[in-house]
Amino acid sequence: MILLDVLMDGAFAAVAGVGFGIISDPPLRAFKHIAILAALGHALRFSLMHYAGVDIATGSFAASLLIGLGSLPLGKHSYCPMTVLYIPALLPMIPGMFAYKIVFSLIMFFHSMGDPVQYIQALLTNGIVAFTVIFNLAVGATIPIFLFSKKAYSLTRRNKQTISK
Amino acid sequence: MHNEVKEIATFIGEYATRLMGSGVHTSRVVRNTKRIGEALGITVKISTFQKTLILSLIDENYEEVYSQVVDIPAYPISFELNSELSSLSWQAIDDHLTLDELWIRYNEIIAKPKMHPLFVLVMASFANASFCALFEGDWWARGIVFSATMIGLFAKQRMQAHHLNHYVIFIVSAFLASIVASTAFTFDTTAEIALATSVLYLIPGVPLINGVIDIVEGHVLNGFARLTHALLLVICISIGLSLTLALIKNNLL
Repeated sequence: MILLDVLMDGAFAAVAGVGFGIISDPPLRAFKHIAILAALGHALRFSLMHYAGVDIATGSFAASLLIGLGSLPLGKHSYCPMTVLYIPALLPMIPGMFAYKIVFSLIMFFHSMGDPVQYIQALLTNGIVAFTVIFNLAVGATIPIFLFSKKAYSLTRRNKQTISK
Repeated sequence: MHNEVKEIATFIGEYATRLMGSGVHTSRVVRNTKRIGEALGITVKISTFQKTLILSLIDENYEEVYSQVVDIPAYPISFELNSELSSLSWQAIDDHLTLDELWIRYNEIIAKPKMHPLFVLVMASFANASFCALFEGDWWARGIVFSATMIGLFAKQRMQAHHLNHYVIFIVSAFLASIVASTAFTFDTTAEIALATSVLYLIPGVPLINGVIDIVEGHVLNGFARLTHALLLVICISIGLSLTLALIKNNLL
């Protein structure tokens, strides 16, 4: 049952990653790589959070690190810069529910100025989580660019052996 | 000599602004542009802002310096251009392309047809429905989110085709999607998840992530400019969503 849950989570993340990615017009050859990365990343975060008791910030960081590392060989394979693969793959992990709760608690805050404490609390909690998760996602996936910068910068180079200078 | 540098500057200005406008993070724009300059025997110094670029081109013998400021138009985000134009900069070095050949290949790349809007519409709707599933919405909620995304995104595409102000576009699309999703409250389903997810197809994920990348890579000003832009769009989404919430808030309490 655990395996099925993880697989389902990965499958939904793959659809979400590719579908949201399409809005940003990726090359056709990158679709399957985006799907793989999105599924792996989200399934890792899901497993860490549900079965290992890891919090969402750390889980997101680990998942985005995996996506960033994976986009290096896959980018080499499809001649795409790493960001072209990993930005769409990160999108399913954007903390949407927290963002919604920020807006909701902001509205409720103005509706209950007499006793706003619980909504300020909700605002802060959700705000901190949303900000930290987005920051961790972007930084985690970018770290492999720093570590392997030479490789990462020449992924779109198709025929380096052709003419020697 | 002067004319030659000037012609190269025209190409490099066009190339760099196209990359910046299509949502490529700053360090890649700088790297690609310098690489093209190197292939043409020119040293390129580049300074980037959100709306303009400053370019200085220096010829091999340091005899001439040509500088120009180029405006960055607002193009739609395109990862396809990101990949292909990066590839072009390597071709310039590896295949020793001349300026004319570069222009030809460049024009071929930017003339490639974009993804069909209907295809985008359907795929994005499936994506948002899957997103709803990831937040543990049930099948009813997923179906409602699917239709809400379709209506909201269709409206967005039509408004973009008519070049409306993009803040207005985001507010209206968020309102439309969330008002459709609010029908979930009449069913016995995870209505709040449906409502929350319905507007998420609008989240400007690319500038958000690019902004953080720019900051950690040291292009701090550009990064904050991108994040500010993304934040304004997120505020627009919240305005659209809060209009819906204000209409239906009695159901939520």
